[in-house]
Amino acid sequence: MFFQQLITGLSIGGVYALIATGYSLVYSLLDFSNWAHGEVAMLGAYVAFMAISALNLPFLAAVVLGIAGAALISLFNERLAYRRIRHNKSPNMFLMIAAMGLSTTYQNAATLVFGAKFKQYPNVLPISSVSIGNLRIGVLDLVSLIITAVVLVVLIIVINKTKFGLNVRAIACNSQTADLLGIKVDKCIATVFLLAGALAGCAGILLGMKYNVYPTMGNVGVKAFIASVLGGLGSVPGAIVGALLLGVIETLASGYLSSGLRDLISFTLLIVILLVRPAGLMGVDVQEKA
Amino acid sequence: MSAKQESTKVLCMDKVEKHFGGVRAIDAFSLTLHEGVVYGLIGPNGAGKTTIFNTITGIYTPSAGKIHFYEKDITSIRPFEAAQLGIGRTFQNIRLFSNMSVLDNVVMACSMDADYKMPAAIFRLPKYRKLEKQINEKAMGLLETMGLEDRANERASSLPYGHQRKLEIARAMALNPKLLLLDEPAAGMNADEEIELVEFIKGIHQRFSLTILLIEHHMDVVANLCDHVTALNFGKTIAEGTPAEVKSNQAVIDAYLGVAK
Amino acid sequence: MLNSFQQGVIILVCINVIAVLGMSVLTGFTRLFSFGNAGFMSIGAYASAMLSVRLGMPFIISMVFGAAFAGFIAYLLGSLTIRLKGDYFLITCLGFGESVRVLFNYTRGITGGAAGFAGIPGTTTATIAVVCAVLAFIIAWTFIHSKFGRNLTAIRENEMAADAVGINTFRYKRLSFVFSAVFAGWAGALFAHYMRFITPADFSLAKSCELITTTVIGGLGSLTGSVLGALLVTLLPELFRGLAEYRMFLYGVAVVVVILLKPDGLYGYREFSLKRTINWWRNLPNMIREKSAQRKQRREKRGESK
Repeated sequence: MFFQQLITGLSIGGVYALIATGYSLVYSLLDFSNWAHGEVAMLGAYVAFMAISALNLPFLAAVVLGIAGAALISLFNERLAYRRIRHNKSPNMFLMIAAMGLSTTYQNAATLVFGAKFKQYPNVLPISSVSIGNLRIGVLDLVSLIITAVVLVVLIIVINKTKFGLNVRAIACNSQTADLLGIKVDKCIATVFLLAGALAGCAGILLGMKYNVYPTMGNVGVKAFIASVLGGLGSVPGAIVGALLLGVIETLASGYLSSGLRDLISFTLLIVILLVRPAGLMGVDVQEKA
Repeated sequence: MSAKQESTKVLCMDKVEKHFGGVRAIDAFSLTLHEGVVYGLIGPNGAGKTTIFNTITGIYTPSAGKIHFYEKDITSIRPFEAAQLGIGRTFQNIRLFSNMSVLDNVVMACSMDADYKMPAAIFRLPKYRKLEKQINEKAMGLLETMGLEDRANERASSLPYGHQRKLEIARAMALNPKLLLLDEPAAGMNADEEIELVEFIKGIHQRFSLTILLIEHHMDVVANLCDHVTALNFGKTIAEGTPAEVKSNQAVIDAYLGVAK
Repeated sequence: MLNSFQQGVIILVCINVIAVLGMSVLTGFTRLFSFGNAGFMSIGAYASAMLSVRLGMPFIISMVFGAAFAGFIAYLLGSLTIRLKGDYFLITCLGFGESVRVLFNYTRGITGGAAGFAGIPGTTTATIAVVCAVLAFIIAWTFIHSKFGRNLTAIRENEMAADAVGINTFRYKRLSFVFSAVFAGWAGALFAHYMRFITPADFSLAKSCELITTTVIGGLGSLTGSVLGALLVTLLPELFRGLAEYRMFLYGVAVVVVILLKPDGLYGYREFSLKRTINWWRNLPNMIREKSAQRKQRREKRGESK
């Protein structure tokens, strides 16, 4: 029972991690919480859904389209709003407010265009479960777990081993210095938004397969936000750890206590962790220089 | 020197240390300030000068050692408490309330004088009116002393650099400080402005009978203002004495020129 | 006299004005973000409703208690979380707001759970609402224009400098948080006694977002701007009922547009002044004449260059 819950938790946490890492990447570069990120996942899920239902595309093609769509929307946000605010040298607070505005806009636009009804993907995977020893694990959970694991490993390799990753880390340290060193900061930031969008799109489709597709499913962004705060804002490994932890806690809380109190328990835990470690599990508490 | 040692001790730092990870920003640093004296703190960049200011004002808590202010232990004080006890300071990178007017910058620093409670403010009781009027007069008076009264209604961020530094000092003076800490007051000033600043600091030192500790790189400012200078390198005192003594000290010259030992 | 629909609109405007004023003090003057103020509204609403229904207390006592109780909870929460920085503080507020909703949903025996709490006396009239809103504005105005508001503004402008001039930043930030919670609780109490029936879903995260949105549109650092924002955001959807379903969508667009084009909001960092408005109005013909003259000039220039 416990291990079964653990696997389910990890699979949900993995989906959170896909969104949370994008969140953290953007935070590390621009120092603001991208509230619209959850909505990017939602829109990705809708794009894939429309590709199947309206264009009759095969499932895999729809997935590719959904991920690409989410990536482009994420880039669009950066081009439309964030970049301008950055170039105006406005306080970071404005980036967050703009993101909040975009989030409200997308969520309600989706309701207006697609309706509030839940949509379902066709069943591509069998709804059965596999038995490993005496554990019974849903095929979907297993597939989702494998996909997220692969994607996250690739992401970490990209950040730590490639030139692009090095540039991203340089900008995260100090974007002005990075600019002076000849790194194309705006281009790099745009690429990060594309990447974050693609990850979110992937998460949106996985969520859509597990549950349904609906306009407020972007609220999963809040979960990702919590996960990245838990792990320490701006830290990608932190976001992954935070997300997995949150997924497991949620599953265990609804399994052993009550699903009604699930969010209450995870929020209480969040506050407790922040009281002990004010900058999250893996974040660095930077003191302002006097 | 002997006369000074008999006068009251304002601040006493005893073997204070501050570590950041493995770095010892200040290392067994001791300093005693006597009432009414102007002290200088010099040293190359990264020597730990600002860290000393930050430990005195409670922004950092020392890793070891004790700090006393008029015999009161202030080692683990919080920044606002240091200010309330009468330690005023300016910052190396000017920190004004930039969107507020010049006058408001000083008024905001008078919160200790505004000794009224919330009901007095909400019902505009006589006590509130009286205190607010006094605060405004005090702030205006300070601006006059600094020669900023003509600019009272301008935005603080629109002031020229030199005036911003003066405003920061005016703001610190609103605390009626007993000890004033100035972090590179002459940074970014030309020779003429420097001379003016020296006269200005001398003026407030006499007028308010202050004890001043200042960090400065311009040696002529230090030589003109300070009675006593401490030179610092790698968080340790390497020399102290009159400006002339310190200036000719071989260890200080080596520290600035980076001679290997 | 006003019909009941018009009265209802006035009451809703007043309730929003009170809640937004609280938000304005917190976000506009202290630059702290709370996505949990809907939670404080619901605490005020449920606390006052229970006092009225279960204990039969008169409305004024229920209302004061509701507001004070919300403030008390904010005091406890703030004591723990105010020290956290930026988004870390923000997320704890968000978590708090959601937790309150979940808790009220769960405690069916006391609060009626998701099915709602019914039978609240409908004491809130348009007159009471207007009196409350005016009172709230006066309190907020005098609060901001005293050392309290000044100290909060100092924290907003530069927290380290505020510390250096002897302002206990922790205490004042908490005070600002409590102030905004009291106003939210007050608004919640009025809301409960107007609707007569409340459910936890009335006070969701979306409501908290709406409060922040309104404050931003009205202008950060301006109380009159916040009132203006609350008026616009509540009235416009009522005037254009046909657009009701586009309401939240338009809010979102409005926020993005305001932040991109006029980041200080409609009345950022200054208060509405009648004199200035009259001067502006008088100057308007001149301004238009000047603009059109400029345009004409430009057109002529372009003609020449061709």
